[in-house]
Amino acid sequence: MSRITGFKSDARGKLGVAVGTLACIACILCAKGADTNAPDTKTVQSNATAVEPAKELPKKTLSGAELYSMHCNRCHPERYPTERTAAQWKTILMHMRVRANLPAEQARTILKYLQENSGR
Amino acid sequence: MLTIALALSSQGQNVSQEDFNALKETVNNLAHAVENLEKTHAVDEQTHHKDIEVIQQLRQKLGETQQTAVEAQKQAAEAQKQAGDAQKQAVEAATAAPTKPILAGPIDEATVNHNFMILGDAEFQFAKTFGQPGFPGAFLLADFAPIFLYRGGDNVLFEAGFDFILQNNAPASPGATTTVNLSFAQLDYLLNDYMTLAAGNLLLPLGTYSQRGAGWLNKFPDDPLPRDELPGAGVGAQILGAIPVGQEGKMLNYAVYGVNGPSSADGTGNASALDLGGNVGLRTDNAVANLHGNPSGGGRVGLFIPYKPHYDVEIGISGQSGPWDNAGKHLWSAGVVDASLHLGSYVEVKGEYIRSKYGSDDAGLVEPGGWWLQAGYKLAGLNLEFPGVNNIELVGRYDTAHDGLGIKSQRYSVGYIYYLSNTLLFEGDYEFREGNDPGFQGNELILQLSYGF
Repeated sequence: MSRITGFKSDARGKLGVAVGTLACIACILCAKGADTNAPDTKTVQSNATAVEPAKELPKKTLSGAELYSMHCNRCHPERYPTERTAAQWKTILMHMRVRANLPAEQARTILKYLQENSGR
Repeated sequence: MLTIALALSSQGQNVSQEDFNALKETVNNLAHAVENLEKTHAVDEQTHHKDIEVIQQLRQKLGETQQTAVEAQKQAAEAQKQAGDAQKQAVEAATAAPTKPILAGPIDEATVNHNFMILGDAEFQFAKTFGQPGFPGAFLLADFAPIFLYRGGDNVLFEAGFDFILQNNAPASPGATTTVNLSFAQLDYLLNDYMTLAAGNLLLPLGTYSQRGAGWLNKFPDDPLPRDELPGAGVGAQILGAIPVGQEGKMLNYAVYGVNGPSSADGTGNASALDLGGNVGLRTDNAVANLHGNPSGGGRVGLFIPYKPHYDVEIGISGQSGPWDNAGKHLWSAGVVDASLHLGSYVEVKGEYIRSKYGSDDAGLVEPGGWWLQAGYKLAGLNLEFPGVNNIELVGRYDTAHDGLGIKSQRYSVGYIYYLSNTLLFEGDYEFREGNDPGFQGNELILQLSYGF
C-alpha cells in the first residue's frame, strides 16, 4: 500500500466551518434567541394570516406526551402507541432507556403515556 | 305607697320634713330595686327562651336518632334474612348442579412481569458503481438484523442483536454464504434511577452512531467513513445513566465502561496487525485469552438541551484507551465529539469528529481519524399540496477519513428518503467518492428499501 500525502481539499477548513456553525446554532438555542415562523406541523395556508410560531416549553413538569414528542423521534420516525401492547411497551422502554440513555423518571412517564394510549 | 303618702299629707301638720325626706329616699330606693329586678327578669326571660330552644333541638335530634336506630335495626334484620335466603339457595344450587371451575379474568398486560419480543430491521439494496470495470450493478440483501429482547422482571433485560448477511463466495468458489454476526448481546440491570449495569458484548458509546445507527435509522445506506477507525462493540461491562437537569427536559447522561479492547491479529505490534473488534476473550481453539491481558477503559458524557418540542441540541464527548499488542507496549486511544441538532420537525443536522492514535513497532505513532456531517430536510415543512411530497426527506452528507498510514478518502453524498410508512423507507443516494484508496474508487448509486420492526 503506497503512501500518498496529497489531499484534494482543505478538510480542516470545512471542519472549522461545520463546528463553528453547530456551535453558533447551539449558542442561539441555549440563549433562547432562536425563533422561527416556520410551523412545526403541516397547516393549511390561509390567504391572510401568518403561521403561529411554536410555543416554548412551559415551566412545569413535562407530561408523557411532551416527553414522547421530545425523545421518541430524535433517532427514528414516530412509533404510534397503538402499535404495541402495554407489556411490550414496558420491554421496549427498558431497551430504549439503555440505548438512548434516558432518565428513569422520564422513561416511566413516557411508558405510562404509551400504555394508556396503546388500547391493548 | 301613694295612699300612705296621701294619708300622711292629709295629716300634714303631723309629718316632719325629716320623715318626708326619709320616706322619699325609701321610695327612690325601692324604685331602683324594682328597675333592677325588671332588668334581671328580662335577662332571665331571654335565657329561658334560649334554653327552651336548645331543649327543643335536643328533643328533635333524639327523635331522629331513635328513628335511625329503628331503621338500622330493620335493615339488619332484612340483611340477615337475605343472607339466610342466599345460603339456602347456594346449598340448593350446589346439590343440584356440578361444580364449575372459576374462569380467570383477562390479564392486565401492564402487570405482566416478563415478556419476549423481537425488534430489528432489514435492508435490501441495489448498488451500482460507475467508472469501475468489474463492478456492475447488483441487488443485495444488505442486512437482516433482528434484535431479541427478553424482559425478566422490572429491572432486568437481556438484549441481543444479529446481522444475517448473504455474500458471494466467488471468486474462490461458487454459491453464496450466509454469515451471522452477533452485533451485540448484553444483560441490562437497572440498579437504581441513575445507574444501569450492562454486561456482555456491548455497543460502545464512542459517539452515538453505534447505538443509534441501525440500518433504518441512519438515513444513508452506508456508514460514515471514519467509523471504520473505531470498534463498534466490545466485550466487557458498563455503568450508564442519565440525570435530569431541571424540569424542562434537559439531561446529562454518562457511560463508563471496561472492555477487552483492540488487539493484535497476529500478536505483534505491527500497525497492519491492529484488530479493532476481534478481542472477545475466547479463541476458536477454545482457549480463554484476552490476548494482551490489559483491558481498555472508556466513557462518554453527553448533554441534551431541548428548547421547544422538536427543537433540541445534544453534544457528547467520549473516549477509550488501552494497550492493544500482546506485549502491552503500545496504547490504542480514541476520542469522539458528537453533536446533533433538531430545528423543528423538519430539520436535522448531526455529525461526529473522530481521532484515534496507536503506537506500533513498524510505523511508530499512527493517527487515524476523520469526521462526518449530515443534514436532512423533510419537504413537509414547505406545506406544498402536491401528492407524495410530504413523505420525502432530502439528505446530504460529507464524510472523510484517513488511516494514518497515507490512505485518505472523502465522499459527498446526496440522497432522499421516501417514507412509505413510519417504518418502511425507500432511500437512495448518489455518492461522489474521492481519495487514494484503491477499494474506494468511482461514484456509486445505492437504492435501499429498509424496514424497521
